[in-house]
Amino acid sequence: MSLYDLLVSPFVEFEFMRRGLIGVFALVLGASPVGILLTLRRMSLMGDAMAHAILPGAAIGYLISGLSLFAMTVGGLVAGLLVALAAGGVARATELKEDASLAALFLVSLALGVAIVSIRGNSIDLLHFLFGNVLALDNEALVLIAVIATISLLTLALIWRPLVMESVDAGFLRSVSRAGGPAHIGFLSLVALNLVGGFQALGTLLAVGIMIFPAVISRFWSRDLTAMTVIAAVAGLLSGYCGLLLSYHAGLPASPGIILFAGAVYCGSVLLGRCGGLLRGLISRRHLEA
Amino acid sequence: MAAQLKFRDLTLGYDRHPAVHHLTGMVEEGAMLAVVGPNGAGKSTLFKGIIGLLPPLSGTIDRGVGIREMAYLPQVAEIDRSFPINVYDLVAMGLWRRIGPFGAIREREREKIREAIGTVGLTGFERRPIGGLSGGQMQRVLFARLLLQDSRLVVLDEPFNAIDDRTVTDLIALVHRWYGERRTVLAALHDIELVRRHFPQTLLMAREPVAWGETGRVLTPENLAKARRMCEAFDEAAAECAVAAE
Amino acid sequence: MRRGLSVLLAASLALAPISAAWAQATGDGDRLKVVTSFSILRDWVRIVGGDRVDVTTLVGPGADAHVYVPTPADAKVLGAAKLIVVNGLGFEGWMERLVQASATKAPVVTASAGVMPRQAGNLGRNSTARNDPHAWQSVHNAKIYVANIRDGLVRVDPQGRSAYEANAAAYLQQLDLLDADTRRAIATIPPARRKVITTHDAFAYFGAEYGITFIATQGVSTETEASARDVARIIALVREEKIPAIFFENVVDPRLLKRIAAETGARIGGTLFSDALTAATGAAPTYVDMMRHNVREIGDALK
Repeated sequence: MSLYDLLVSPFVEFEFMRRGLIGVFALVLGASPVGILLTLRRMSLMGDAMAHAILPGAAIGYLISGLSLFAMTVGGLVAGLLVALAAGGVARATELKEDASLAALFLVSLALGVAIVSIRGNSIDLLHFLFGNVLALDNEALVLIAVIATISLLTLALIWRPLVMESVDAGFLRSVSRAGGPAHIGFLSLVALNLVGGFQALGTLLAVGIMIFPAVISRFWSRDLTAMTVIAAVAGLLSGYCGLLLSYHAGLPASPGIILFAGAVYCGSVLLGRCGGLLRGLISRRHLEA
Repeated sequence: MAAQLKFRDLTLGYDRHPAVHHLTGMVEEGAMLAVVGPNGAGKSTLFKGIIGLLPPLSGTIDRGVGIREMAYLPQVAEIDRSFPINVYDLVAMGLWRRIGPFGAIREREREKIREAIGTVGLTGFERRPIGGLSGGQMQRVLFARLLLQDSRLVVLDEPFNAIDDRTVTDLIALVHRWYGERRTVLAALHDIELVRRHFPQTLLMAREPVAWGETGRVLTPENLAKARRMCEAFDEAAAECAVAAE
Repeated sequence: MRRGLSVLLAASLALAPISAAWAQATGDGDRLKVVTSFSILRDWVRIVGGDRVDVTTLVGPGADAHVYVPTPADAKVLGAAKLIVVNGLGFEGWMERLVQASATKAPVVTASAGVMPRQAGNLGRNSTARNDPHAWQSVHNAKIYVANIRDGLVRVDPQGRSAYEANAAAYLQQLDLLDADTRRAIATIPPARRKVITTHDAFAYFGAEYGITFIATQGVSTETEASARDVARIIALVREEKIPAIFFENVVDPRLLKRIAAETGARIGGTLFSDALTAATGAAPTYVDMMRHNVREIGDALK
């Protein structure tokens, strides 16, 4: 098999491969910078929690309008935002820290989602409908992902500075500005938005993966925030590309294939990364003069 | 001299227990005031009240400077040292009031940032990630940020705790420079000798004000002993304060 | 005269409670409680059992027995049953534990006993059940199912033997008709076009019996996920073999099929029913309706 057959021809021959690639690419562009901030702000697990919080909203959307992408997206988004805002609100108003209040709320949300789905009477596998398939991205789904990516990038450009400030030194930002709160809410909204988009492309846990993996990979290759964002995007794009190829050549299911590849890159980074890679320390190099 | 801050029967505290009890007085514009007292005297609480983080339990604070125009250095900076940001960018935050979330950083601003970094003796450290700084270096960075804020009122809460002598010397010189520029500086300090050497005015408090005025007259052994006697812990069985609100 | 009347009155008053008791004895309380695992079996038990049985199903119309999760209410229902009918062949992986949990004394009839099983999974996917359980898709097998159900009912309720045998015999004749009609309908499809794609690998028995090639994108269980390789193979196959139609199954994600249809130009057929009947108002409320519906859809798509 030539290199071309290995790397390029699957995408040339099959439209569904091209769509999957474009979908993942668009998703990565929006989700990876969000993921970087998420991990830097120590909110990585929050992404997972949010993913579960979105479930009942999407389920309600399904109940109301059937298999309407629009209804489920809106439902999921509303649920995600409500949970995020409520968690933040409780954290600000009481002594409970954000992670605890979020944990409480997403559990309620999840239980609600399961209850709603089972009340329906059918044990129709709602999972198949709520969580997308990267191999079956129709025009609706692609447009959704593209729109989400665009909104994400524009919003991030807008709130980047206050968001970074809030992440490094929230006290200082609070002392000089009222932008911290809105920036925080804007950020949570982007997390919810990208998770919902990720659902459509990859399914729930994997949607979190495409947000987190590029970010944690980038930490091992750079200490500069801008460079990290670029590295994260590249890592995500690579994972999408190679993951799809793995699914094509080796018969792995597509979404797990993408995330497994990302996981492999992560392990490689942990061992060999320029910044803090475990094995790098073993290669003894002379220290510098100053 | 105009008043920069005016306290009217101010009581500040947590859970109805007063940490600052019935404080009345004023800080003049351009004053360089040290706030001194034993542990639990309420110094940090007072500063939090001044910058608007803590609403008064009773009484009022009149401020001659908008809250967001104040430059505040908290006792414990909640800075995430592991965040991938360098000295230059952290100092640049001081420009927020001037450029906001979208303002461009042009040559003029870049010049100011470099100058601030130079003033605190950290030239050459611009690209250094903040995670690699020592305690003293970090404090210099924070002072540089304060410099850029260019504020009329600077509030410093224990700025020299656990800082090496060389850094203290350099930063105290900066405080003097602010004083010379007629900015109002408030600093909570533990080091009585430092206060005696550098600060013309002192407020000695132990929840309630003990003495307030010219440093020499305030920091007498009697006053210091009196302040130490006042107890630290909140009294769980305390009755409601009988002093009427004015 | 008056004496006669009062005797009559007394007699009728005395008879009233007796007749009421007699009426009740042959009423609801006497019907045989049967529980089936899924809706197709319920259909057959109703037909063969007639008025003598009161049958409920655990997995209702439109639901998926492959991924069904039993509830405590189900255990109760099983406990009260006099006869339990299951498909077997690995269809109800959850049944054994449920029967144990319910501590029921009712005998369990495996309706597919005596059917020649096929191997599962024609896309090389490993599923836990090695047999393909969808044996009822062939009418020939359906007749075996019905016979097993009849025999099971007779064993538990010998008094109803004549009723059960009569009902079963009548229904078996209907099934013969169905089989003949099906063969006739398939015969009208040109042989080169007798190829079809579905999402659910549930029609292997139908395909073998009536000469249609079914290709599925997923394995037998609804839980296995397709890989790019599988999808690419199907598209390549459809393109190569010029397969005319792709069908949805009523419990699995149709988006993948839509994508394949768009990319190959194949016709998207209507819904085929395989694992469950529909509600009474739906297109396939009984087994015969289901089969006729499927044959009609296949015929329409392939002509």
